[in-house]
Amino acid sequence: MSVAERRPVPPARESEPIRLLLVGNPNSGKTTLFNRLCGLRAKTANFPGTTADLRIGRLQVPASAGEALAAEIVDLPGLYSLDLDLPESKLAAELLAVDAAHPPAGVVVVADATNLVRPLALAADIARRGVPLVVALNMIDLARRRGISFDLGHLSLSLGAPVVAVSARRGEGIDTLLAAVRFALERGAPKAPAGLPESGEAADLEAWSESVVAASVGGAHAVGSASDTLIDRLDATFTHPIAGLAIFFAVMAALFWSIFAVASVPMDLIEATFANLGGWIESVLPAGAVRDLLVGGLIGGISGTVVFLPQICLLFFLITLLEDTGYLARAAFVMDRLLCRFGLPGYAFVPLLTSHACAIPGILSTRLIPDRHDRFTTILVAPFQSCSARLPVYVLLTGFLFPARPAAAGLAFTACYLLGGVAALGSALLARRTILPGSSRPMVLELPSYKMPSLRVAAAAALEQGWEFLRTVGTVILAICFVMWWLSAYPTTPAPPAALELEARAATLAETDPAAADLLVDEAAHLRVRRQQEQSFAGRIGRALEPAFAPLGYDWRLTMGVVTSFAAREVLVSTLAVLVGADADSEAGVLERIQSATRDDGSPLLTPATAVSLLVFFVLAMQCLSTLVTVRRETRSWKWPLLQLAWMTGLAWIAAFAAYHGLLAAGIA
Amino acid sequence: MPEHRAGVPPAGVPLAELPSGVPARLAACALPPLEAKLLAAMGLTLGSRLVVRTQGDPTIVEVRATRIGLARAVAARLTVVAEPAAP
Repeated sequence: MSVAERRPVPPARESEPIRLLLVGNPNSGKTTLFNRLCGLRAKTANFPGTTADLRIGRLQVPASAGEALAAEIVDLPGLYSLDLDLPESKLAAELLAVDAAHPPAGVVVVADATNLVRPLALAADIARRGVPLVVALNMIDLARRRGISFDLGHLSLSLGAPVVAVSARRGEGIDTLLAAVRFALERGAPKAPAGLPESGEAADLEAWSESVVAASVGGAHAVGSASDTLIDRLDATFTHPIAGLAIFFAVMAALFWSIFAVASVPMDLIEATFANLGGWIESVLPAGAVRDLLVGGLIGGISGTVVFLPQICLLFFLITLLEDTGYLARAAFVMDRLLCRFGLPGYAFVPLLTSHACAIPGILSTRLIPDRHDRFTTILVAPFQSCSARLPVYVLLTGFLFPARPAAAGLAFTACYLLGGVAALGSALLARRTILPGSSRPMVLELPSYKMPSLRVAAAAALEQGWEFLRTVGTVILAICFVMWWLSAYPTTPAPPAALELEARAATLAETDPAAADLLVDEAAHLRVRRQQEQSFAGRIGRALEPAFAPLGYDWRLTMGVVTSFAAREVLVSTLAVLVGADADSEAGVLERIQSATRDDGSPLLTPATAVSLLVFFVLAMQCLSTLVTVRRETRSWKWPLLQLAWMTGLAWIAAFAAYHGLLAAGIA
Repeated sequence: MPEHRAGVPPAGVPLAELPSGVPARLAACALPPLEAKLLAAMGLTLGSRLVVRTQGDPTIVEVRATRIGLARAVAARLTVVAEPAAP
């Protein structure tokens, strides 16, 4: 579209807020400005007329006289040009097209004041599309420190749009920016100033931008390159093949240590809170199906999910802090050298790292990978990374294998992580040679300036990801918990004679020996639960499916544990706890009872061979419905999650079979 | 951006071989169109002035006050012409 074909600005309806788009290059401080404008109340939602989930926030644009104008501001992904064949460029071009279904009322372009040529060319490309525009000259404080000065009047005249100096990090110039937005909205799309390129050709836009910068920007480093030996040394060290790798692993070790060390306190608090809530419900509601549903289904399901929230939030908080320092971009190159041998791009390391907390945010973060095959390969292998939900299973089984030998148990724990990583790399290599052919695209990445990270931005990222985690996982897990509760609670089964006999004995001892009576009552309750589980729909399903898992050394209880874990891995421990009649009041008691439980024929439920088989299965199998739903959403096809389910579970079965029979052959039963 | 092998000055060298600290101009780009357009959008246009800050894998170049990391495979397909040293 030429500048002569400017469209009218769509009038805002009284009832709905006007819509503004926030556009800018990567590392321009766009997200910091978004958070400054909207606070921490932004949400990620599907944008009307597109298939993309974007961050949307609300703000009030002050009026010169009268009421403030309610506005919705959409944070578009960082982009370099509207003309590139990349998802973020195509999305922005689509939203700014002359025939867009939901055209914006205005656009705010965030420009890095220390490097103006590139963002000014982007602003010019948007200005020529006939949209009311304001340019926020961000990081003005940094530019001033570097001795750069600006003729804002000349910049505004050249572009035909207000240009406002701001520092999003410090909150400087925000009021002026909002006033300029109001001015631009009231004025509508202005007549294009003379000299603005009519074509969207990159060379024309850049030539225009360079001439405007030369005439409007002064200072020692205005258009030249700044030399900084400290930055050179840091870059050389962080991207060094050996030193860079050592630093990367040290940083990651510190990150994981922080997650496990710091998150344990809020995790304990959450568990205690839900336990108290469950206890309170049990005390106020009469025994029956409703109480069981609330305590066993609702409270149990929610607590099992929410308990991982601190780790998720903390992980994103720390990763965002790291990203904000500028280090992660350098680390991406270090990992690129390793990952590219297996067909994965360097960009994949953040999603793979994130997947150690939970595969869902890891898969969501693959959106930063530009190439479709690179991205899908990363999505396919991300769930191999050992997530938090596997931890209870690892604790149970490594503790069983190496009782009172914490160092050996720790090594086994580490081996689980390594096995997952090796499986991910091997599967990626296979995928790139078969279903997603090609090699990963060599990395090209802007290296942002080193700076002090913003706690505000990190907090916003942590809150947003935490909410998304709860929204995505909580709903699915909750539904599954209800179903599992129903399957294990029905049909109701009469108490076994042994339980009735124990209860009768307890009644006779109630007055003479209350402690012994309590023990008998507890034992009777366990027998009731066990009978109920055996006769329930869940128990029947477990027995029906037992032949599929018997070659791995599992009986019907372990089979049912594995099957219920396809909803969520952490369910294994709670399922086994119920099936072996564990005392749910004590976690140590739960683990001990599972580890010492027996099968129907009196043989041990877990042997070393069975435990290793189960451990291998849980490392490799795709046992998370929420992840599958997320993969479906991200790939927009059921083909990929079903393929992932078949591949991971098939591989897990074969590896567990090999481990079990290998150990049996070695005489380790 | 199409490939620009033609017209490479005889003095041109692959960016991957340009010593650190030597100012140069981008003379040719032998990358597929998508990568070439991305580089151009990032500021690495034909004729743009650049300096290698760290040579290796990645090659880190500074162009218009922005540092860009390029995998060695990319840097090897960019041809630059060193600029004469300032008097």
